Amino acid sequence: MGKARRPIQIVILIFIVILGAYAIGSAVSGGGSGKPQTGDRPPAIKLLGMDGDVHTLEEYKGKAVVINFWATWCTYCVNEMPALQAQWKKWSDQGVVVLGINTGEDKMTVTNFIQQLGIDFPVLYDFDNEAVQDYGVVPMPTTYFVDKKGKIASIHEGELNLATLDDQIKRLVNP
Amino acid sequence: MIKNTKCECGHQNRVGTVLCEACGKPLDEHADSKELLEMRYDGAARRSQRANPNFIDKIWNFFSSVKVAIYLIIFTLIGAIFGTIFEQESNFVNFDPTTFYKDKYGTIGDIYYKLGLSHTYESWWFVLLLVMIGASLVICSLDRVLPLYKALSKQKIHKHMQFLTRQKVVYQGPIGEDGVEWTHRAVKPLKKKGYRVYTDGDALLAEKQRFSRWGPYVIHIGLIIFLLAVLFRGLPGLHLDKHYWFPEGEITKIPDTNLFLKNEKFTVEYYTEDEMSKDFQGTGKIVPKLFETKAILYECTAYCDDPSKEPELKEVDRHAIRVNDPLNYKGFKAYQFDFDLTPKLRSVKPVLVNAKTGEQYGKFQLDMINPQQEFELGPYTLKLKNKFMDFSLNDQGQPITKSKDPNAPAFLFLIQGPDLPEEGGQYIYFPKQIDKERFQQDAINEKLGGLQDKLQLDVVGMEDVDFIQSSSYLNIRVDRVMPYVWIGLGIVMLGLIMGFYWQHRRIWLRIDEGILTLGGHTSKNWFGLRREVASFLKMMNVEVDEKQLDNGGNRS
Amino acid sequence: MSFLEVSRQAFVVAFYLYCLAFIFYVVAVTGKTWRNRDPKQHERKWGIISFVTSSLGLLAHLVYCGTRWAYSGHVPVSNMYEFMTFLSMMVMVAFTVVFLIYRKILLGMFALPIAIIIMAYAAVFPQDVQPLIPSLRSIWLYIHVTLAALGESFFAVGFAAGLMYLLRTIDFNSNDKISRRQKRWVEFTLFSIIIVVGFIVSVFAFRASGYEAVFTQNTTKIDSQVEQDSTIDKKVYSMPPIVAPHDSSAESIQPFLGLDKPLFEAPAWMKGENSGRKLNTVLWALISGIVIYILLRLILRRPLSKLLAPTVKSLDPDDLDEISYRAIAIGFPIFTLGALIFAMIWAQQAWGRFWGWDPKEVWALITWLFYSAYLHLRLSRGFQGRKASWLAVLGFLVVMFTLVGVNLIIAGLHSYAGTD
Repeated sequence: MGKARRPIQIVILIFIVILGAYAIGSAVSGGGSGKPQTGDRPPAIKLLGMDGDVHTLEEYKGKAVVINFWATWCTYCVNEMPALQAQWKKWSDQGVVVLGINTGEDKMTVTNFIQQLGIDFPVLYDFDNEAVQDYGVVPMPTTYFVDKKGKIASIHEGELNLATLDDQIKRLVNP
Repeated sequence: MIKNTKCECGHQNRVGTVLCEACGKPLDEHADSKELLEMRYDGAARRSQRANPNFIDKIWNFFSSVKVAIYLIIFTLIGAIFGTIFEQESNFVNFDPTTFYKDKYGTIGDIYYKLGLSHTYESWWFVLLLVMIGASLVICSLDRVLPLYKALSKQKIHKHMQFLTRQKVVYQGPIGEDGVEWTHRAVKPLKKKGYRVYTDGDALLAEKQRFSRWGPYVIHIGLIIFLLAVLFRGLPGLHLDKHYWFPEGEITKIPDTNLFLKNEKFTVEYYTEDEMSKDFQGTGKIVPKLFETKAILYECTAYCDDPSKEPELKEVDRHAIRVNDPLNYKGFKAYQFDFDLTPKLRSVKPVLVNAKTGEQYGKFQLDMINPQQEFELGPYTLKLKNKFMDFSLNDQGQPITKSKDPNAPAFLFLIQGPDLPEEGGQYIYFPKQIDKERFQQDAINEKLGGLQDKLQLDVVGMEDVDFIQSSSYLNIRVDRVMPYVWIGLGIVMLGLIMGFYWQHRRIWLRIDEGILTLGGHTSKNWFGLRREVASFLKMMNVEVDEKQLDNGGNRS
Repeated sequence: MSFLEVSRQAFVVAFYLYCLAFIFYVVAVTGKTWRNRDPKQHERKWGIISFVTSSLGLLAHLVYCGTRWAYSGHVPVSNMYEFMTFLSMMVMVAFTVVFLIYRKILLGMFALPIAIIIMAYAAVFPQDVQPLIPSLRSIWLYIHVTLAALGESFFAVGFAAGLMYLLRTIDFNSNDKISRRQKRWVEFTLFSIIIVVGFIVSVFAFRASGYEAVFTQNTTKIDSQVEQDSTIDKKVYSMPPIVAPHDSSAESIQPFLGLDKPLFEAPAWMKGENSGRKLNTVLWALISGIVIYILLRLILRRPLSKLLAPTVKSLDPDDLDEISYRAIAIGFPIFTLGALIFAMIWAQQAWGRFWGWDPKEVWALITWLFYSAYLHLRLSRGFQGRKASWLAVLGFLVVMFTLVGVNLIIAGLHSYAGTD
């Protein structure tokens, strides 16, 4: 007796350690809300664009992406639109994409608004708030700065002015 | 320390054995001791008991100790108490814990938060305690159940004298006849009491309800299954827990699934006066009776993942969701959680009225969301230029919308037709009467070109206004491990019943030169065993008082 | 006569029958020493009388339960009054079961007061039949609550037997550390029971006199949006205010024994709903309890434990220990099934999660952990008898805290309406 039992003992103890580590790990990290944080990969997006095509983040692989969640009824979003447009013009040839995601409004509202302001960076419809849920967006606007490696470099909640926006994008392009 | 574990009957016992595995003679004790025997695990050595424990043995022994298990239970108990002092963070949806506790409870609350007690049950130490309890459950059980099984399945009938006289139930007295015959005669009454009886000459072993000994181990297995199920609940794909609004009459996509749910009708019912007791009517309280969402669940069959196309849906389930009665479709569940009775405008069907002739054109449907953008009404063409769901004017006097909800919808049309400028005239239309007055529709139209004197948009009757009457807030859940949780708990219950409502009873007896020695043991309920032994002896014409059988000591 | 009327009458009848049965038990036990009596025959005769009386009481109690059920259409366990009444009925059921197993008359002398006190405590709460809100309309709720109450009642019987064991084994002549401690704590346990009686007495005394005092209080509520919202609340006391709500002013106070204004104000950190009134009630319970206790001591001229100890002298301590253990062992699976498993099934159906770490749930778990520790401890040497009995006493305290304390102190999903 005895010898044959040792491996069983070790296997059981290893199992307990693995399960225990998993339990504690998931309990401690599970405390987070599941929102993407700085350093994470941005959650996947599959949304209809204003151009009528379906867009995903895959298309912008290797580029720095500024993902901006906005709505026409949100004053701060409206305020920062010209700054976004200006930065799109300035940086688009250096591998920077500004991507506007409209939250929960219909085509007509968005189209009218975009035409009025003369915006030409890509805008996607998130009518069912799917991306909003995935990104855990609470205040509007929220802007995610994704670097060329596809990691979230920073998250900005609230209105952006031209200077900060420029500063952030600079850091995306030249880290 | 090397102990001699060989019994006088010749059996070689393992280290840690308390009672000889063969004859039951107590080992390693003074021969003249009168103390009651330690009958746990029938005196067998626990598996982990070894002469020279190494590192792994030590860990193993730590978890196999009942004492450690009790400490773990007590620590968990105390930890759990801490978590009930103030509210836990998990009970709130939207709040800032960094200030909440300080504001509500002052310094104590702040300390509570900083110690991490505001999320006690998700803290590393609490989970660690549960993991250790789990480990203890596994190792304790393994360590005991196998030796006990072996000990019980190879019991010897003829036991050592000391084994009998040091049981808790003991009888010793003369019988006026031959031992073998007496023993033979004893079989029938014991069998009648449900015992399985084994005899060996003038020695006898009667045993019943041995299965109840497995009760505690069954409980532990159940608890392990339960704990594992809870642990694996967190694995991706096994668990979904979200809350969504479902406006009445709309088909709403449920994110992260290929399911769509239509809220056909939401109802709230309140108790009527007749349904309440007289006393309660006096309090004047209104109590809701029923919250119900009539729901249809659709599964997407095509174009599910393509936002540019309309998905094709197939109805898969239909259920009146109530509190305590969720919709359940293959493990996908929708629970009634909350509701909102504020009506929201869905669409209106106005007509175009020629202000001079009174002639009416149309009825055309104007949706709040994704409306049609061009309407042909008689000789007129209406082009929808812009819409504002929650109309307001900003500082510069420009029209804006304050939200996406149709609280104060306004539609700006470009109308072309006879008697109008060639490029058309602008006309703003507020479907709600209250907004027409509040924002002065006519005054705005006057500024836009004075179309209001020629044409008017208007709804004829209430039947032309379509409201979303209410919205239902449903909790969407998927919990793939629930069956295992219930199985685990079921096994726990089975073990509890086995272990607590039945008792493993054994009676040994041997006759030495006309003297009967009887020893009895049970896992619980000595009172019952004594009564049974007394009644058995009475059948054998030995009168004995129940209480006299008690060998003293205190061991239930 | 409506069902409700019948049920009210039956409640009163049951209560008085229990009181009567208790007196008979006392006669059965103490009468043995009276002159011209054969102790054995006396005990048997009065034992039967007492048991029959208490069983009649239980019958009336069942009639109460049945008629109220018939009237309201749901098992009467949906508010504090109904639940406590039901619990006292279950205590009687548990007592009857244990009595039928062990035939120890004396058990009644200790189990009945528990049932009586719980029943009187129930009467403190509003007694109207309330319509059920949707979340309570589930068959699982009834099974959960009734079984949990039954399990807890067995723990109550375990408590009674444990206390009897302690009374039986107190050595009043010895002055060593253990027996001094035992004397002190047994007396304290009895004193605690007197405090509960004091609470009930003071509630009914002031209710009978129609006492009322009104305060207005500025409360700042922080709702989920963290918006501060200042409102003025009226706090109505039904007992003379010793302590006023924090940051409040008196609107009207009936003078009581010259007390026409509160003696002090509740501290600022007590911010719970109605915490001022609850603190006031606790203070009154303490005062009445202490007064009753002192009066008893003055009349009896000895500690209560010394008065009670001789009544259990005829019992075998081992038997008491076993009864206590057995009652807990019978109750444990029922409690597990009722208070935990069925509670989980119901929670899964009502809210979609079987466990939510709600304070009441946690305390049910704590109770369960406590008794599992008790059961494991009994496996080892040295935890039978005295120590086990203390655990049985302590365990019942945990049970009562789960049932009453959590509702008073910690609010949660289970907080029934009308906690005074």
